[in-house]
Amino acid sequence: MTDSRAIEFVHVAREYTRGDGARVAAIDNVSFLVSEGEFVFLIGPSGCGKSTLLQLVAGLTPPSSGSIVLKGREIEGPGAERGMVFQRDSVFPWMRVIDNVEYGLKCRGVGAAERRAIARDYLARVGLAHVERAWPRELSGGMLKRVAIAAVFANGGEVLLLDEPFGALDYVTRRQLHQVLLALWDAPGAKRRTVLFVTHDVDEALTLADRIIAMREGRIVDDIPVGAARPRNDDSLLAPEMVAIKHKLLAHLGLETAGHSA
Amino acid sequence: MSGSTKWGGRLVSLAVFAALAALWQVLSMVYTAEAQPGEPMVAGWQVLFTRTFLSLADYWGGGFGVPTVADGAERSYLAAALSVISNLAFTLARLAVGLALGWAVGFTLGLAVSWSRFSRGLVEWPVQFLRALPLLAMVPLFQLWFGATFLGQSLFAAYGVGVIVFAGTVNAVRNVPQIYIENARLFGASRVTVYRTVILPAILPAMRSVALLCLGAGWGAVLGAEYLGAQTGLGFIIVYAQQFAYLDRMFLVSLVFVVCTSASFFVVQRLFAHWLAWAPPSARA
Repeated sequence: MTDSRAIEFVHVAREYTRGDGARVAAIDNVSFLVSEGEFVFLIGPSGCGKSTLLQLVAGLTPPSSGSIVLKGREIEGPGAERGMVFQRDSVFPWMRVIDNVEYGLKCRGVGAAERRAIARDYLARVGLAHVERAWPRELSGGMLKRVAIAAVFANGGEVLLLDEPFGALDYVTRRQLHQVLLALWDAPGAKRRTVLFVTHDVDEALTLADRIIAMREGRIVDDIPVGAARPRNDDSLLAPEMVAIKHKLLAHLGLETAGHSA
Repeated sequence: MSGSTKWGGRLVSLAVFAALAALWQVLSMVYTAEAQPGEPMVAGWQVLFTRTFLSLADYWGGGFGVPTVADGAERSYLAAALSVISNLAFTLARLAVGLALGWAVGFTLGLAVSWSRFSRGLVEWPVQFLRALPLLAMVPLFQLWFGATFLGQSLFAAYGVGVIVFAGTVNAVRNVPQIYIENARLFGASRVTVYRTVILPAILPAMRSVALLCLGAGWGAVLGAEYLGAQTGLGFIIVYAQQFAYLDRMFLVSLVFVVCTSASFFVVQRLFAHWLAWAPPSARA
């Protein structure tokens, strides 16, 4: 295989000082590789460091030690080759929907006509062509997530960081957005982007992931490939190997003792 | 709100206005005391809109071929109208310069606090110190520094406006949700772009209150500055009339003042309503 390493975590650690002055390790000596186009999930109980890890890849905070290498270059700050979707609404309320989708392209100096065409394309793909001139406040939570997804895809970043993006949405909307996300990720003719997806939702991970990394207390405790064929449906999740993975993950989340259902 | 209730609300407001005006008229008829012979303490509307208004011709400085009372001309409605307009123009000019200067300096310094650690250190402490000085305590100082000059009066207003804008800007920037800033940076926005495309629009709802607050302060400061030695402006007329106990003139000019401040508030509110079309209605009203 030629160099297909998209992201390389090399002995990454991130400490912070708690209110009482104690030093706490949010990420504790984490090393792993993510291949190009891989759809990787980070899963673990609250406070296990998975969101912190995403912040580090985003370049919003620097690691305390170690390094994160993105296609041969160490990450030193945010960059347009990485896009992020947050759990909270990050869509700018003062820009119309289409201007939100164009924002990254505009920041990088893409011409007006070109970026408008790109933005329209992605808005259509997430099913929001009809609201391109709307203000974000006129949209539902699920639609805002579609805007955010369209915006990061339109910006063309090769790495997508998703920090519990659908955590605050209802079940139906979440399922719809899984389809939207998968369709964009797996679009015919387009290069698959590398995805790091943080979640609490085991089924979400099983439906979408190539690989699931379980974390606890700042460390990686499991790294499970998910080989099931795509597209996956509810029945796919009932396959014995998927059920086995589910049990493992639930155990990592502290919901089951390993090997026994709760 | 439906159209009919909106109009109903306006009708009620109008009725209150009319009632207050009527009350004033009744008061003028019941309470006939005079500050000096021929100068009622409470002047009725029939006096205010005739004799009082005409008397404002005294403050006409001349020009446009309309002679001044000081040059021996009769008082005329034209001279009175020109007098009101010209003195109002002087007041507005002081206010405009004060607002522009106050906003430019207060806003820039306010943004500087969040720009970098260095700019924060440079700006924050000295301006916090200036903020603590009460505006009115500065009046004599400004008078001695600048005399009764247009510049001094405008600077005084600018000072009053500037400290409010500074404090409001610092506070507004501090309250911008971090997620928008992070999102912009992740899209590749430079720091200048973050300020232009995120910070500035995000603080707009908060700056609306700041704008209304400092508009009031600006009017007050200009009037205050004019009380102290100006030779033109609405404040000058009020103080000058006070020296001769011309209560009717003071009242009429105050009315002009109230109309103008109300109009300026209306304009600022409309402007922000336009800029805040994106915001939820609660942030616009």
